[in-house]
Amino acid sequence: MIKSVLVINTQGKPRLTKFYDILAVEKQQELLRSVFGVLCSRADNVSNFVEAESIFGPDSRLVYKHYATLYFVIVFDSSENELAMLDLIQVFVETLDKFFRNVSELDMVFNYSKLHNILDGIIFGGQVMETSSAEIIRAVEEISKLEAASNSISLVPKTVSGWRSR
Amino acid sequence: MALSGMRGLSVFISDIRNCQNKEQERLRVDKELGNIRTRFKNEKGLTPYEKKKYVWKMLYIFMLGYDVDFGHMEAVSLISAPKYPEKQVGYIVTSSLLNENHDFLRLAINTVRNDIIGRNETFQCLALTMVGNIGGREFAESLAPDVQKLLISSSCRPLVRKKAALCLLRLFRKNPDVVNVDGWSDRMAQLLDERDLGVLTSSMSLLVALVSNNHEAYWSCLPKCVKTLERLARNQDIPQEYTYYGIPSPWLQVKTMRALQYFPTVEDPNTRRSLFEVLQRILMGTDVVKNVNKNNASHAVLFEALALVMHLDAENEMMSQCVALLGKFIAVREPNIRYLGLENMTRMLMVTDVHDIIKRHQAQIITSLKDPDISIRRRALDLLYGMCDVSNAKDIVEELLQYLSTADFAMREELSLKAAILAEKFAPDLSWYVDVILQLIDKAGDFVSDDIWFRVVQFVTNNEDLQPYAAAKAREYLDKPAIHETMVKVSAYLLGEYSHLLARRPGCSPKEIFSAIHEKLPTVSTTTIPILLSTYAKILMHTQPPDPELQKHVWAIFSKYESCIDVEIQQRAIEYFALSSKGAALMDILAEMPKFPERQSALIKKAEVAEVDTAEQSAIKLRAQQHMTNALVVTDQHSSNGTPQSVGQLSLVKIPSISGDEHTSADQELSQANGTLATVDPQPPSADLLGDLLGPLAIEGLPGAAVLSEPNAVSGLEGVPIPADDAAAIVPVEKDTNSVQPIGNINERFYALCLKDSGVLYEDPNIQIGIKAEWRAQHGRLVLFLGNKNTFPLLSVQALILPPVHLKIELSLVPETIPPRAQVQCPLEVMNLHPSRDVAVLDFSYKCGTSMANVKLRLPAVLNKFLQPITVSAEEFFPQWRSLSGPPLKLQEVVRGVRPLSLIDMANIFTSFQLTVCQGLDPNPNNLIASTTFYSETIRPMLCLIRIETDPTDRTQLRITVASGDPTLTFELMEFIKEQLVGIPTAPRPPAPPAAPVAQPTNPAALTDPGDLLAGLL
Repeated sequence: MIKSVLVINTQGKPRLTKFYDILAVEKQQELLRSVFGVLCSRADNVSNFVEAESIFGPDSRLVYKHYATLYFVIVFDSSENELAMLDLIQVFVETLDKFFRNVSELDMVFNYSKLHNILDGIIFGGQVMETSSAEIIRAVEEISKLEAASNSISLVPKTVSGWRSR
Repeated sequence: MALSGMRGLSVFISDIRNCQNKEQERLRVDKELGNIRTRFKNEKGLTPYEKKKYVWKMLYIFMLGYDVDFGHMEAVSLISAPKYPEKQVGYIVTSSLLNENHDFLRLAINTVRNDIIGRNETFQCLALTMVGNIGGREFAESLAPDVQKLLISSSCRPLVRKKAALCLLRLFRKNPDVVNVDGWSDRMAQLLDERDLGVLTSSMSLLVALVSNNHEAYWSCLPKCVKTLERLARNQDIPQEYTYYGIPSPWLQVKTMRALQYFPTVEDPNTRRSLFEVLQRILMGTDVVKNVNKNNASHAVLFEALALVMHLDAENEMMSQCVALLGKFIAVREPNIRYLGLENMTRMLMVTDVHDIIKRHQAQIITSLKDPDISIRRRALDLLYGMCDVSNAKDIVEELLQYLSTADFAMREELSLKAAILAEKFAPDLSWYVDVILQLIDKAGDFVSDDIWFRVVQFVTNNEDLQPYAAAKAREYLDKPAIHETMVKVSAYLLGEYSHLLARRPGCSPKEIFSAIHEKLPTVSTTTIPILLSTYAKILMHTQPPDPELQKHVWAIFSKYESCIDVEIQQRAIEYFALSSKGAALMDILAEMPKFPERQSALIKKAEVAEVDTAEQSAIKLRAQQHMTNALVVTDQHSSNGTPQSVGQLSLVKIPSISGDEHTSADQELSQANGTLATVDPQPPSADLLGDLLGPLAIEGLPGAAVLSEPNAVSGLEGVPIPADDAAAIVPVEKDTNSVQPIGNINERFYALCLKDSGVLYEDPNIQIGIKAEWRAQHGRLVLFLGNKNTFPLLSVQALILPPVHLKIELSLVPETIPPRAQVQCPLEVMNLHPSRDVAVLDFSYKCGTSMANVKLRLPAVLNKFLQPITVSAEEFFPQWRSLSGPPLKLQEVVRGVRPLSLIDMANIFTSFQLTVCQGLDPNPNNLIASTTFYSETIRPMLCLIRIETDPTDRTQLRITVASGDPTLTFELMEFIKEQLVGIPTAPRPPAPPAAPVAQPTNPAALTDPGDLLAGLL
């Protein structure tokens, strides 16, 4: 099972955090800091694996990938295959790239909700759900459409209520 | 740059980005949270769009690490909104901010169920996502059948079915019984025929969870898994979008092979043959290519295939093929492959007997110990540790020792522990073992745990041949200019015991050895000084004929430490001084330490415990464990062949990393050992028997000699039967119990807290217990603030809740020690089950110096805390009042002897108890009408109506009428009001004399304590 997905920039700021276990906020922040502490000291040409048991407790593994200014991290237990998790990071990033057409850190900062929707399309409750980026984007766009449709409708009651309270 | 379309959110994020420092960020966040809170409070003005915007802001704030602990209720209620946008907001925020432990999630079960069984697919997706992320046991019980239906429904879209599969997996984890094994296994097999690879991937994850729990039921799925794997590996009929860098869905391949690893074996010959063909194809058909992503994907599949081959225990040919592949991998350029190559070699060692083939790669593995990547170095260390046996132990351990001087600090502890264990397990000769451990201490003293040096001392003690050698080695190390403190300890101990064996060697006269050790004394800490003192005493004893000069010198040292502030040092100095003037008796008392009883090494035990901890259910691991135990049997035999193995009893010494059970059992063993010592032979030269290496000498004739436990060693002594004349010095006798007097009146504090939500519950010279409470309907959250007022710690702190039957109270863990001047917070969750006036009691005790304090405090979780004021109009009041016509729902009573109160005062009392006084409802101005709502878990929120009729001529009597829809509630509320009006707060008297099962004071002496008196009254 996947325990957590983290996106941290090279200055240690979280861009996306998702924990599939119950964790207190303080604990989440502590983990984030520890993970960043380990990652920022790693050179570029080394493996994508980091010892995680000292941070996340027994039976945890961590893979990460470093893209430009961002670290993408997945923490999981021994029921998952390490390299498959690494591939999953790649799928996530490729999907973001297709969705935003050349994704940058700024896209991710300002489209926080989209980021969430995309991740939710890939990982569901700590399990891999979908790995085809075309399929993932289709699902996310469907949600966007539903949201957009409801936004335009919502204008009507807004004006009415504004008018009534006057 | 595409924007999310929520301007307010973007502005907020920009603001946060522009903050110069954390403080500014916090201010901005607080402002926003305040804003959101007020906007949500008057919810009517919010459009769905705004709600969504605020929710995403909240999630963003949550990610930044701020607690967003409001709006949970609102979020849950949004789930039941009819329109998509609000429902979506509700589901998103609920699954992000809440978890399965939140009680009011239960309220949503019905709505969620309706969404799942409804026709709207988008609603189904939302509901499934929420349940799949945070659904708990209750969700499992009520939703599993519906989710199963969705999964197998052919009319559902793939998107819904994928989610249903994984949702069911979650529910199964929460309660395995909800997936009916009989009926479900056939369905599961059908699901594996699915053509849509997305649905198949999710179903396969579900299958992995199911077979890991019970593979028997799912045999029918095995051939299907093999078929799926064939289809993928041969790339038959795989849509382009599920091909990742040319590899047909590596995730599905991996999952399928994972599922196969949970079946103990493949019996059907045809299936077995097909499976092996596929595996062969994967093993042979994978090459290292340039594209990193393709490489990762193909090797993900390859490594999983390797694991499956290992599991199936394939014929030797295939296994050696695997080892050959791994041998290739650990030398490739690609670091990930190197890493996994090493890791899988280690795993392979555990399952099959491939030691000899793997040994051929030893040089390459040792090279990996110097890899630039610490992750790879760690794997190499694990592998070397795993592949070590008698034949290569010397090489490997020496390699590890060499590496120790350059290794990262992060690895040194593990490295030294592993080197120590290997040296012990596989030592070809004992002097080598002593060499290794001394080198370890020399090179990495900071990382050598006490267990390691205790162990070498045990070995030396139990092997006479070794003693001169060890003593000579210790002497050599003492000549080095700067040695680690642990080295001082070991050499001092060894030389104290065995230096007389070196007497004829140059530089080894008692005097010389004494001064070599004494030179180190200024550099060591107080934990080492006692060992040095023992060594001096022993050297003195061994010096025959006595050397007056040396004696004078040592005595001077003893008398110097006689007034040392450290009790252990002081005691030893006094005892040794007294002993050494006794002459011949000294010889007996300070005789050589006896042999340690044979016992399994604490180190090896520790290593085993660690193995078991990480063990998972997988068959591979199980087998690995068997293998481990075999290995131990082998070493045991080995030891009986002459190589000393499991000796010594240092496993008695507390080892921090061993689990709690281990502690207790070790302690018990210890107290038994000491118990026999005390009863069987009360006057021995106790050095013979005290198991503890550093154990002080309890000597008859020295009444002041207290047996104090070593800080890092024994502490089980307190429960041991001890000769009477020693007793006084040993354990503080518990006669001082409850000598602490409370400050202020406990009762008054309690009554004050019945009306307020925060304040002081208890105070005495040592501690102040504050309380802060939040109440919401039938739920309450209390935080106890335990503040130590002293400059020394409060020990053995214990807090027990004695709840009455109507309250469910959960107290979080209370720390055993409260540090000086520190405040500890202990949250307490309260849930009201039904109306009652019984009071919960907190049984609180702590130890301060020698005195125990114990108080029993009533907790202000009283009836009125579960009331919420409500205003009732005349139109609502009278029909209700009339419909509740008489007992038991409506009770009336005339009460006399009431405290005279004006109507206004009475109204104020009512208001403070959360009763709303309704003005003008009763035409008679001397009467008073009040209303309130009562919340509990078992009955729905209940409206309560109260009428008080007063007599203006006699204020000491009145007539009370109480009505509500629940007879118990009516009764309890009536009694409650009577108590409030009759007794308190001027005359402090417990509000109720219930038969609450409060702990009886067992110690009659303790009855003088107000807290116990109180408990007695209760």
